[in-house]
Amino acid sequence: MTAPLLEVRDVSKYFEGLRALDGVSFTVEPGVILSIIGPNGAGKTTLFNLITGALAPTRGDILFEGRSILGLRPSRTARLGIGRTFQIVRPFPGLTTLDNVALAALAKVSTRRAAERRAERILELTGLAPFAQLEARNLTLAKRKRLEVARAVALEPKVILLDEVMAGLTPTEVDETIELVKKLRAMGIAAVAGIEHVMQAVKKISDHVVVLNFGKKLAEGPPSEVMRHPEVVKAYLGSQYAEAARKG
Amino acid sequence: MATRDARGDRVAVRIRIGWAALAVGIAVVAVLPFFASDYLVGFFFTTFLFVSMAYGWNLVSGFTAYVSFGQMSFFGIGAYTLAILVSRNAWPWPIAVLAGTATAAVLAVPLGWAMLRLRGPYFALGMLGLTQVLAMVASAWISVTRGGEGIYLPPEATLRQLYYAGAALVAVAVVVTWAVDRSAFGLRLRSIGEDELAAEAMGVDTTMAKLASFVLASTFPAMAGGLYAWRLSYIDPASAFPAGYEVQTILMAIFGGAGTVWGPLIGGFLFTAVGEVLWAKFAEVHLLLFGVMILIVLLFLPEGIIPLLRRRRMRRRAPVGPAPIREEAA
Repeated sequence: MTAPLLEVRDVSKYFEGLRALDGVSFTVEPGVILSIIGPNGAGKTTLFNLITGALAPTRGDILFEGRSILGLRPSRTARLGIGRTFQIVRPFPGLTTLDNVALAALAKVSTRRAAERRAERILELTGLAPFAQLEARNLTLAKRKRLEVARAVALEPKVILLDEVMAGLTPTEVDETIELVKKLRAMGIAAVAGIEHVMQAVKKISDHVVVLNFGKKLAEGPPSEVMRHPEVVKAYLGSQYAEAARKG
Repeated sequence: MATRDARGDRVAVRIRIGWAALAVGIAVVAVLPFFASDYLVGFFFTTFLFVSMAYGWNLVSGFTAYVSFGQMSFFGIGAYTLAILVSRNAWPWPIAVLAGTATAAVLAVPLGWAMLRLRGPYFALGMLGLTQVLAMVASAWISVTRGGEGIYLPPEATLRQLYYAGAALVAVAVVVTWAVDRSAFGLRLRSIGEDELAAEAMGVDTTMAKLASFVLASTFPAMAGGLYAWRLSYIDPASAFPAGYEVQTILMAIFGGAGTVWGPLIGGFLFTAVGEVLWAKFAEVHLLLFGVMILIVLLFLPEGIIPLLRRRRMRRRAPVGPAPIREEAA
């Protein structure tokens, strides 16, 4: 059996005694969309920071293609094939849309020109081509989120960590983002999507769902099954709804 | 399509004017010492030193936004290395200048490695402190530097030679900055200036990129320091680590436009020219007027001249304003 693409093994992260993550384990197979859902503060962003190497776990191990990536700095994990987007979007505001993506493409090609050519293709793919020469600070939130995805794609990653790419978008924009994520899957890129609220998106895109609550894994499985899980309903809506859900 | 052609023509005309202005500038600089007084040649020489130091500052602080208040550290290292070498061995002056520059670059590796751990104002102040520490070392290490007594240099380099060396240094600074601006390295530096965390997440080894820019940037003040030492024929801690030059250098780069290719050149020349005119016309209050001018520039033109011109051009180019910015729903 080959190793999974990404494996999070019994990972904990404590901040001054606060247990942001507590013994979380899951695996991501190549080309699969895994959604990590959970209320605000459940530990989704912390998890992403651990996987990329922005933070070090207190305990546990993280493996990429069978090898531990603990201790690698974010630029190394990015070059290995782990792309990410940020929850609070942070494209380079003073750089053009094209340069934003070209910068990430430099992880794979060495000249500026080759990086720009690659970036142009990715802007076509993500529908950002008309804004190539605009400084990123002038893009709408939806487009900046999309630019973050485009930038991550330019790394030619094997997996992309999407931190709340749907949050704050209109329903139309959510649908567009869902299409984009499906495009990534068609390209063979796996995705780990951290999602707090946009439940219809979770159903539409996820192959697999992991539920986090207060840093612990609450449930795991296919989307339809997980969403009916009483513990999950309770965490999200309160116990009286869990009661109602059980009665049907 | 007609508008696009017209726009292309306008750009072509502007580029041609730019090249013409550059050619005239180079010609004037080339023949100036044959006509001008020693005073004017000396004035240009000093301006060259400042402009090249502004370029050096621009490479580290303009691109990566790690604002350094301590580039004079390398000015002093360049000047002292040269003076020590020349006082012990009779090295030809250009070789001594290059040796001082190389020494500064080598020392910049550990210094940058340590200083670049600091960010924002801490880096700025740390660099300021570094210059002061080095000035104290120069005062106290008497067996090597002769302390406050200073080191005299033989009057080996003529003003004209130094003038051309300074002009060449400016030319190198412009070409290096131009090349960096277009390169993959330059884009990496800019991304660090924009958002270091995001740059790291996009695969940029930010530590290495910052260190490389720090070392590259150290060579310009080091070489300027060496030429300055020859001009003075004497070096002591106060002249090797001149605190006022730091501020002047930074203001020139900001005046023209930090992070741009032509900003330090235009800013540097305008800055020194205005300073000179104010001094000549209003001798009693020239510093006051100069200070007021600096305030006005920083208040109303904080990004400098070049970005202002660029923005005006952009506005003309794009009649449809930028897309409205929607604020983040936190």
